[in-house]
Amino acid sequence: MEPLSSFFAVSVILLGIGIYGLTTKRNAIRILFSVELIYNAANLNIIAFARLRNPPIVTGQVLVLFTIALAAMEAAVGLSIIILVSRLNAEIDLSKLSKLKG
Amino acid sequence: MTDLLFLAFAAVTIGAAILAIEARDLVYGAAALGIAFLGVAGLFFLLDAAYVGWFQIAVYIGAVVVLILFTVMLVGPKMGETPLGLKRVSLLAAILVSLLLGMTGALANATAFPGQDSCGSGCDLTLLSTSLLKNYGVQLEFMSLVMAAAVIGALAISKTDRGQ
Repeated sequence: MEPLSSFFAVSVILLGIGIYGLTTKRNAIRILFSVELIYNAANLNIIAFARLRNPPIVTGQVLVLFTIALAAMEAAVGLSIIILVSRLNAEIDLSKLSKLKG
Repeated sequence: MTDLLFLAFAAVTIGAAILAIEARDLVYGAAALGIAFLGVAGLFFLLDAAYVGWFQIAVYIGAVVVLILFTVMLVGPKMGETPLGLKRVSLLAAILVSLLLGMTGALANATAFPGQDSCGSGCDLTLLSTSLLKNYGVQLEFMSLVMAAAVIGALAISKTDRGQ
C-alpha cells in the first residue's frame, strides 16, 4: 500500500484549494464548492488516520459516514438559501449582499 | 499497481478540484466537482474503505452534484460572475495558502506514519455495521432527526413568497 503520508498530502492540498476558493471567490455557489472540498479533505484525513492504529479500527469509517450525511444536509439548506437570495435580489454575489449590515 | 492507481486518483482529484474553483462556467465547475468527488471515492477504495467509497459516490455524485446543477440552472449560470478586480488579492491568497501547505507538509514529513498494510478487522463490513447500529445507534437516530429538520427547513425557506 501507498504510505499514509501521501494520502495526508492529497488531503492537505484539497484543504488548500478549498481555503483559496473561500478567500478569493465571491459567488455563493462557488463558495459552497469550496466548503464541500474542505469536507472531502477532512473525510480523507479521518479515513487515513483510522488506518494508523494497530490494529485498525472501524470508528473512523463510522465517523465519515456521519460527516458525509451532514455535508449533504448542509448543501441542501445552503442551496435553498441561495435560491431564495437570488429570487429576492437577482444577485448571488456575496460582496454585494449588504442588507443585514448595521 | 497501487502506486499508479494512487497517482491517477490523486491527480484527477486535485486537477478537478482546481478546475471546480477556477472554471468560468458554473456548470463546468459543478461537473469538475463531481469528478473530484469520484477521485476522493477512489482514494477511499485504496484505503480499503469500500463501503464509505460507495456511500460517497451515492450521496455526493447522486445527490449533492445533482442538487448543485439544479440550483445553477434555476439561478442562471451567468449570475454572480463577478469580474472582481482582485488579482492582487488572489495572488496573496495563493501565496499564503502555499506557505500554509508547505509548513504542514514539512511538519508531516518530519513525522513517521507507520500505516498497517493489512486492514484486517478495521475494514470488516460486518464490524462496521455492528458498530454503526450498536455503539452509535443513538447518534444515528439523532442524525435522522437532523436530516428531517434540514429538509423541512429547506422547504420552508424556499417556499417563502417574493416580497414578503
